[in-house]
Amino acid sequence: MAVSIEVQRSRGWQGLIPYAIILLATLPIIILYGWLLYSSFFERVEGLRPVGPFTLDNWRFLWAPERVQQLQNKSPIIPLTINTFVFAGSVAGVVLLVSSMAGYALSRLKFKGRRMFLGGVLLLHSFPTVVLLIATFVVLRWLGLYDQLLGVILVKAAFELPFGVWIMKGFFDTVPWDLEMAALVDGANRIVTWWRIVMPLVKPGMLALGLLSFVQGWNEFLLPFIFMPSGNQATLSMMVRSLLGEGRFVDYGTLTAIGLFYVMPVLALFLFAQEYFLRIYSGGVKG
Amino acid sequence: MRVLLDQLSKSFGPVAAVESLDLEIRSGEFVALLGPSGCGKTTTLLMVAGIYKPTAGTIVFGERRVEHLLPKDRGIGMVFQSYALYPHMSVEQNIAFPLDVQRKIPRPERDRRVRAAAEQVQVGHLLARKPAQLSGGQQQRVALARALVKQPDILLLDEPLSNLDARLRHAMRGEIKRLQKDLGITSIFVTHDQVEALTMADRVALMRDGRLLAYDTPEELYAWPRNLFVAEFIGNPPMNFLPVEITQRDGSLVAVSDGLTIDLPESRRAALAASAPARATLGIRPEDVSIEPAGQGHLSGEVYVVEPMGREQVVDVRVGSWAMRVIAPASFGGQIGDRLDVALDVERVHLFDPDSGERIG
Repeated sequence: MAVSIEVQRSRGWQGLIPYAIILLATLPIIILYGWLLYSSFFERVEGLRPVGPFTLDNWRFLWAPERVQQLQNKSPIIPLTINTFVFAGSVAGVVLLVSSMAGYALSRLKFKGRRMFLGGVLLLHSFPTVVLLIATFVVLRWLGLYDQLLGVILVKAAFELPFGVWIMKGFFDTVPWDLEMAALVDGANRIVTWWRIVMPLVKPGMLALGLLSFVQGWNEFLLPFIFMPSGNQATLSMMVRSLLGEGRFVDYGTLTAIGLFYVMPVLALFLFAQEYFLRIYSGGVKG
Repeated sequence: MRVLLDQLSKSFGPVAAVESLDLEIRSGEFVALLGPSGCGKTTTLLMVAGIYKPTAGTIVFGERRVEHLLPKDRGIGMVFQSYALYPHMSVEQNIAFPLDVQRKIPRPERDRRVRAAAEQVQVGHLLARKPAQLSGGQQQRVALARALVKQPDILLLDEPLSNLDARLRHAMRGEIKRLQKDLGITSIFVTHDQVEALTMADRVALMRDGRLLAYDTPEELYAWPRNLFVAEFIGNPPMNFLPVEITQRDGSLVAVSDGLTIDLPESRRAALAASAPARATLGIRPEDVSIEPAGQGHLSGEVYVVEPMGREQVVDVRVGSWAMRVIAPASFGGQIGDRLDVALDVERVHLFDPDSGERIG
């Protein structure tokens, strides 16, 4: 740490160049989010010039949804939010549960077809979801999970699993064999060793993967939209889509406010947990 | 507890790591598995521990066959080369882990035993620390405490000293040896360092390429190496070797090489006469060679280099194309290029069959 600071100082203003480039590259996104926030507090915005005084009207959907004309005939926002949380949380939970066990097995156990399985996982990871929609539909129908949140949770988790399994295998690979051997000699069985010795050591990876899967679930639109057509258990992404797609007059003020409301959890997660997100790409360096 | 390895073998695919190993370790004995890297010593240890399943052969603890048992059911404690302390647990939790997984030890008893194990290796004051906050020596003590806390019948140590610096290694060598004797626990340790093996163990099993080459006390291994490999491997600085021819001359046996004729001692003649081949490899330890004034030794040569070791000096003497290491007293004042003679202590000459490597006579 001290070393890198030293280096920066000696370079003087040149050390700022990378930051300048990063700032330049991210500026459009920052401006867009800024504009979103800004315009959610005015009735209308023309370019950057607000029309009318500062108002909280656009956020009325939070406390008085019945007065928002656009939200008539729609599910109230709070249950939708809860649905989205349940959806994203369950996806993260399933991904963590399966990835942590499958990753361990792939990292530690010898079994027939292990290499092929690893290759297959990688292949699946690069497979576009859309291609499998019809097959997935058939499977869901057959399981009786079509048009249910549970079904979509399973589908989304399944699509996230190749990445999760691969990442967790990487984290498990960094745990020295010696530790497991020591635990076995100390009297633990394989399960206890996995749970009490190995899992605590891959906790940073679990945290990162859990957060990432949560965000993936939170942002998911296509799967709930297609596999829950009735909208009984709709999620926020479906609602934002429906506000846009109504065809007639669109209340952009409310739309920006709802959109902002929708991305806030994700922004918050990235702000507070960016350290963990970074770890996932550093290949599971021990924290 | 007695440990018996009978025809123990382990292969990894087509590669045989250990082949038909027979070894008996008496109760309370401290045995070293010594050999160069890749000789199968750690594989053997891990089979005793139950981490590896033998491909063939049996392992007996006391009167009980254990090769099919899981590590947890074998009553062993083990110290790993890397120490393998659990990084997320405190020292106290590390030492307690073998007791905690048993689940039937009441809390006060557990705490008492953890404390006792820690005190035994002088880490009682470090219980609250995490392994990362300990020095290498302290980590090793914690690893020892963890191995001993459940009072195992057998203690296994894998290269226990290799991660320590030279001074600490010396200190721990003595400490581990003393601890082993105090506890009277049957112990096996693996090392590639002959000094460790000779200084610590009651008996040393020397291995190469998955086979046991010699199994004896350090004194015997040193004084009567059974074959060329043992002779080469044991001893520091290593033994000198010279190809010779053995012939009868004037009713006595002599070993002849260019410019060198050595009368072999009476005591060896009988054995040699029976089986002596014409050619042999003669071995002599550096301390069994002495430096003599010119004209009074077996061979004359020239000082190639002198290495002062404090208590003594190791002198490399070039005799023709042949280099010979000699241990000279610290008072030896020779310089590079000096001409001198060396004399061999003929009673301490070792002869080996150059083809089979086995000892002759």
